[in-house]
Amino acid sequence: MGHHHTHGDAPDPGTPSRRDFLKLAGFSLAAVALPGCSRSEELAATFLMKPEEVTPGLAERYAAACSGCDAGCGLLVTVRDGRPIKVEGSADHPLNQGRTCPIGQASVLEVYDDQALRTPRLAGKETTWERLDAAVTQALAEARANGRGVRVLTGTQSGPGEQAAVRALLAGHADARHVMVDTPSCSALRKAYAAFLGAPRLPRYRLENAHELLAVDADFLGTWLSPVEMTRGYTAARRLEVGRAFCHHTHVEARVSLTGGCADRRIRMHPAQMLATIDTLADLVAQAQGGRAPWEHGDNGTDAAPWLRETAERLVKAPRGRALVLCGRDDVGTQQRVAWLNHALGADDAALAHRTIDLAYPSQQALGDDDELLTLLADLERGAVDVLVIAGTNPVHDHPEGERFRAALGRVKLTVAVTRQLDATASAATAVAPMPHALASWSDAEPVHGLLTLGQPTLAPWGQERPLLESLAAWRGAPQGAREQLREAWRATVFPLVEGAASFESWWARCVHDGHAVVPREPLPVAWREKAELTAPVSPPRGLLAIVHPTVALRSSRHAHNPWLQELPDPLTKVSWDNAACLAPATAARLGAGDGDVVRVTRGKDVVELPVSVQVGQAEDTVALGRGYGVLGTDRFAKVGPTWLEGEPTVATGEPVGVRTEALLGEPVVDIVRAGRRRPLARAQIYDRLDVPAHLAPRGQARRPHVQHTTLAAWREEPGAGAPHAHPDSGSLWDDDHAYEGAHWGLAIDLARCTGCAACVVACQAENNIPVVGRDEVRRQRDMHWLRIDRYFEGDGDDLSVSHQPMMCQQCDNAPCETVCPVLATVHSEEGLNQQVYNRCVGTRYCSNNCPYKVRRFNWFEYWQGSELAHLVLNPDVTVRTRGVMEKCTFCVQRIQARKAEAARSGTTWSDGDIQTACMQVCPAEAVVFGDMNDPQSAVSRAGAMPRAYRVLDELGVRPSVSYLRRVTDRESAPGSSPDAAARESHHD
Amino acid sequence: MTEAVSALREPLVDGQKTLRAVTNDICRPLEGRPTRLWMAGFVVAVTMLIVGGASILYTMATGIGTWGLNPTVGWAFDITNFVFWVGIGHAGTLISAVLLLFRARWRTGVNRSAEAMTIFAVMCAGLFPLIHMGRPWLAFWVFPYPNDRGSLWVNWRSPLLWDVFAISTYFLISLTFWYLGLLPDLATLRDRARGGLRKTLLRVASLGWNGSTRTWHRYEHTSLLLAGLATPLVFSVHTIVSFDFATSVIPGWHTTIFPPYFVAGAIFSGLAMVLTLMLVARKVMALESYITKRHIGAMCKLILGVGGIVATAYATEFFIAWYSGNPYEQFAFFNRARGPMAGFYWMMVFCNVLVPQVFWFRKVRENLWLVFACSLLINVGMWLERFVIIVTSLHRDFLPSSWSSYQPTAIEVLAFVGSFGLFFTCFLLFCRFLPVIAIAEIKGVLGYARRGGAAGHEMASPARDREEVMT
Repeated sequence: MGHHHTHGDAPDPGTPSRRDFLKLAGFSLAAVALPGCSRSEELAATFLMKPEEVTPGLAERYAAACSGCDAGCGLLVTVRDGRPIKVEGSADHPLNQGRTCPIGQASVLEVYDDQALRTPRLAGKETTWERLDAAVTQALAEARANGRGVRVLTGTQSGPGEQAAVRALLAGHADARHVMVDTPSCSALRKAYAAFLGAPRLPRYRLENAHELLAVDADFLGTWLSPVEMTRGYTAARRLEVGRAFCHHTHVEARVSLTGGCADRRIRMHPAQMLATIDTLADLVAQAQGGRAPWEHGDNGTDAAPWLRETAERLVKAPRGRALVLCGRDDVGTQQRVAWLNHALGADDAALAHRTIDLAYPSQQALGDDDELLTLLADLERGAVDVLVIAGTNPVHDHPEGERFRAALGRVKLTVAVTRQLDATASAATAVAPMPHALASWSDAEPVHGLLTLGQPTLAPWGQERPLLESLAAWRGAPQGAREQLREAWRATVFPLVEGAASFESWWARCVHDGHAVVPREPLPVAWREKAELTAPVSPPRGLLAIVHPTVALRSSRHAHNPWLQELPDPLTKVSWDNAACLAPATAARLGAGDGDVVRVTRGKDVVELPVSVQVGQAEDTVALGRGYGVLGTDRFAKVGPTWLEGEPTVATGEPVGVRTEALLGEPVVDIVRAGRRRPLARAQIYDRLDVPAHLAPRGQARRPHVQHTTLAAWREEPGAGAPHAHPDSGSLWDDDHAYEGAHWGLAIDLARCTGCAACVVACQAENNIPVVGRDEVRRQRDMHWLRIDRYFEGDGDDLSVSHQPMMCQQCDNAPCETVCPVLATVHSEEGLNQQVYNRCVGTRYCSNNCPYKVRRFNWFEYWQGSELAHLVLNPDVTVRTRGVMEKCTFCVQRIQARKAEAARSGTTWSDGDIQTACMQVCPAEAVVFGDMNDPQSAVSRAGAMPRAYRVLDELGVRPSVSYLRRVTDRESAPGSSPDAAARESHHD
Repeated sequence: MTEAVSALREPLVDGQKTLRAVTNDICRPLEGRPTRLWMAGFVVAVTMLIVGGASILYTMATGIGTWGLNPTVGWAFDITNFVFWVGIGHAGTLISAVLLLFRARWRTGVNRSAEAMTIFAVMCAGLFPLIHMGRPWLAFWVFPYPNDRGSLWVNWRSPLLWDVFAISTYFLISLTFWYLGLLPDLATLRDRARGGLRKTLLRVASLGWNGSTRTWHRYEHTSLLLAGLATPLVFSVHTIVSFDFATSVIPGWHTTIFPPYFVAGAIFSGLAMVLTLMLVARKVMALESYITKRHIGAMCKLILGVGGIVATAYATEFFIAWYSGNPYEQFAFFNRARGPMAGFYWMMVFCNVLVPQVFWFRKVRENLWLVFACSLLINVGMWLERFVIIVTSLHRDFLPSSWSSYQPTAIEVLAFVGSFGLFFTCFLLFCRFLPVIAIAEIKGVLGYARRGGAAGHEMASPARDREEVMT
């Protein structure tokens, strides 16, 4: 609980004092925001006497639940003067272990959404809660009396409190169901296990135990299931340590995903071939084990591709339980084959502690069932449902049959949408019940069997929003605060399991304080049925397929209103403020379409028109379309970005951001034609490759060595392998300008761990008040992100290598920016930082021109800092920059200064790891290390001294303070490491 | 005074001009009503100035984002225009100071307007570093003056600061030199004026010039001293401007040849601009007798010579890129010649290397239309040279991730147009109110002087001229 301390105390972060405990426990009873208790306490008033635990200007930190997706990560929310301004992962939360994804980082901005609903609505008009409640209660009473259908449709709800609230609402109704749906869906995976275990179950993957990993169409690092948890496991399994196994990752996919880019071997495959590949693999594995896969299929592995043979061999050869096959296909039959395969490999072997699949303590992060949703739709259409409560999900947008859904809502007597936005579903509903942001309400979840998370409010709602739990209670006629409901549910169902707790109150206080609880639940029975009844798999046909996929930035329509996420460049395409139609170069050439040419993708009456983004490494005959775009209400972003003569609005008036593609879900065969228009995409990076164009390349030196890459085998042999030819540093004629007698701050970034997930980009944006500039400015390469991720493609087609390189100010010791500023607006600190003095800057931009890394950002206009309400998210420790000044990464100097001030005040000192930059703190891959380079024992010094360490553009003599650790993958050869480098050597000598 | 007169050397002033005729020829346009041609030119120039001024005000009010820049290409039209105008501003001092020291007497026909051009060009040049700032209202921070902001000082290591001093020094010396040269002519105008405000103003402006021998003596000495002071400036200004690039780390900028390269380029462009303006002025102001084909021919030859230096510099850059073995440097030059902006590079080579070669031929040098066309092309080429150096070096630097492109917006094009508006407005006002040819100096090279005073004068003396006018 060490990190929960406020700045004001904490003599020793390791041992909580009784005072701390009481103080934090007391929060849940008496502090600023308690919407759950009683309405009267919501009054915001100035304190006459300062409460002991609240000091204006000092940050408080509270545990909360992440609302980014349903993975159930825990957060630690930084609250300044009663407003949450930043979230971090909760360090002791077992799933995310202190880290978040970009969406989790950005979720804090949604607290200050001035367009979010504030008042309940009935029949399209604003109303009062009394009237709305009366209408819903009456409709429910009538439905109960007449035995008519009542349905509750939500996203995944795994928490005992929330489930109990829904159950209580539906109790007493003859025809009542609670339907859950996930966007994106994992329904097929969960249902596949029903055949083997008797009931649907979502396996919990323990990637950290894997030695051999095959993923088929599963973007588990970017968008699938639980990306932060998976990333932590994945990078743990691929830790580069002498004498330690390195998990080999083979990836099969059609589009280029974040995960595919990280793989040691990426197989580009049309979706139509994937089932056959799994079948063949099952055969090969079964044969190796002296058996046969228990299903009929044409192929028996005789003509398997060499890579597949090798993969099968690797899977079988890996220690039992440590081989794992992940599959993201949305087909029960296919998933059953994969489940069988994993079982055959022993991945789910309960006897093995290091198993990679846990079925006894399964995941509950995606409980949705797509078939039930279709049943619900049928029920709606035949008029069997009188009352429908839709909470926190938007089927009209998210479901491919959204239009049918909307039409069917017309047949329901009363649809009430519990929502934050007037989205497509809410605008078709009879009643709209606004709910507060997750950081302003109580919530619970049980993402993994036996792991519960508890979300507490960190501020009061802005308007009349009411938490879902309270709405449900009001509608069943027993109004009760959300907190009370959760307490009751936890007291009844969870507390009895807890051992050694003194009282419920102390245990509950502990849960609120921690934000989560691990309880000793009974393991679920795992009785594997060898003779399972398998579902016939469905494979998409060969032909031009549409692949509608979640994007790393949005994942679904839920966060489409978040400008940080809309502006976040997609890690692969680098496109922001748009979704694109990604085509393989050959497919694009066949169409005669280039980047930015709009194409019309048609399946029957569903038409999607999107600009093309040509994507190397994508399977031919596929078109990949990001989902979560074209969301109702995102026309609000027309106002984002500067207005000037030649400026274009981010979106045209009345138009949403991007185009809705959900209608093409399910990999249908589509027609594509050019629409005859162009819409140049806003890309943060234009040139995609490390190789300079061949006709401009100096002989033998086409590849720029900024991303160094070597193979696992070479690294095992020689840890310094893969270094390009370099001239010895002949030193400087001049004395060093700076002594660095105190600290000398530095950063080390491990390219072998970085997945390119972009969490650091958003964390930096949140921490440092980085403005959103809008589509037109991004199109002009004027994105303001202090930390960007350079993404380079090498090779193409089957041989694609994707490298991600986080790039921020390198805080050079011989900084080229510092010498050229005429007014000394950028100067060197005693601790090695290149300080930018905003109020001295006159904006000549010479520093930016002279920066070899181009990491400086200029305020070309007075940029948008969000609505007035959104100004509340600004970090008060960081200056908001005005037009005409230069800015850049500061190594989060405000955090350094705060820690130093605290050390000075308390007469202590800081130790390594006390000061974390925002990018370091968020990184799920732990790829970023910050610290004092003067301390030889600091993590950053140790990383910088590794044989893998190098500095980008070291040869310029600018002496950057950021080290990169050479990327290591388990390939046969690494791009740029062998023939090219050899040629360079010979050229030089 | 005896002087060896070559029968072969062409006269510097055509026709049998008396001293009175010279004075009348040059002063009369200043004393009557402006011609229609002048009015038309003035209207065009002022319109350009207003449009450009409006675009600059819009930029200041809205942000530098109204230009086509991005973090990779932080300078483009702005600094290109700055270096272009500074270059233009070089010929004036070269002609007035260096040629004075070398006793190249043909300079007398063109030096006044060349110096005026220098001053106006430096004004245009100074405009761009000012308006290219993100916060131009704080531009005074580049001056080291005692202040109460914690006594913030300037960065003496920054080439931009060196620029501030180089340009302002150059401007002040050029202005002083020009004004000094104007004194005898202002006195002439004063003496011709019939009274009123004009006479009063001229009386003040001519600083009580009385044409005495002592005055002339001091005038000649001060001129020589100032010429000596100004001569190093011709070389230092563009050397320092080139440091903006040469001291940076960007491939294509980080080049030790830049100082001589830039000086040669500046003189090259300055001469071309002088030529352009001379050809127009002699026609418009009927000064064919004073700016003769001999002047034009001499300018052409000078351009040809300096153009050779410029061409050598271009070739040297490529040689060094190859010879250095530096892959970034090599790429920068491959990219210049074959990359996405190669068109500009080859247009530059055409204009600056190939076009001047026609000046080898006398026929071309004497065909004023051709000379005019060539001088315009060289002006274009020299603008392109700076654009190529600045933009093509910046747009693809070290990390391919930050590679970018550049396209000017209408707003910054109009700012450039505005600088031409400023230049021509100033120049036309100069033509209207001040003698475009140094009356006193041109008399020293009149035809009679060649023939030992055939026209009845012992020596060419402005002082005598003054007496003549007064009688």
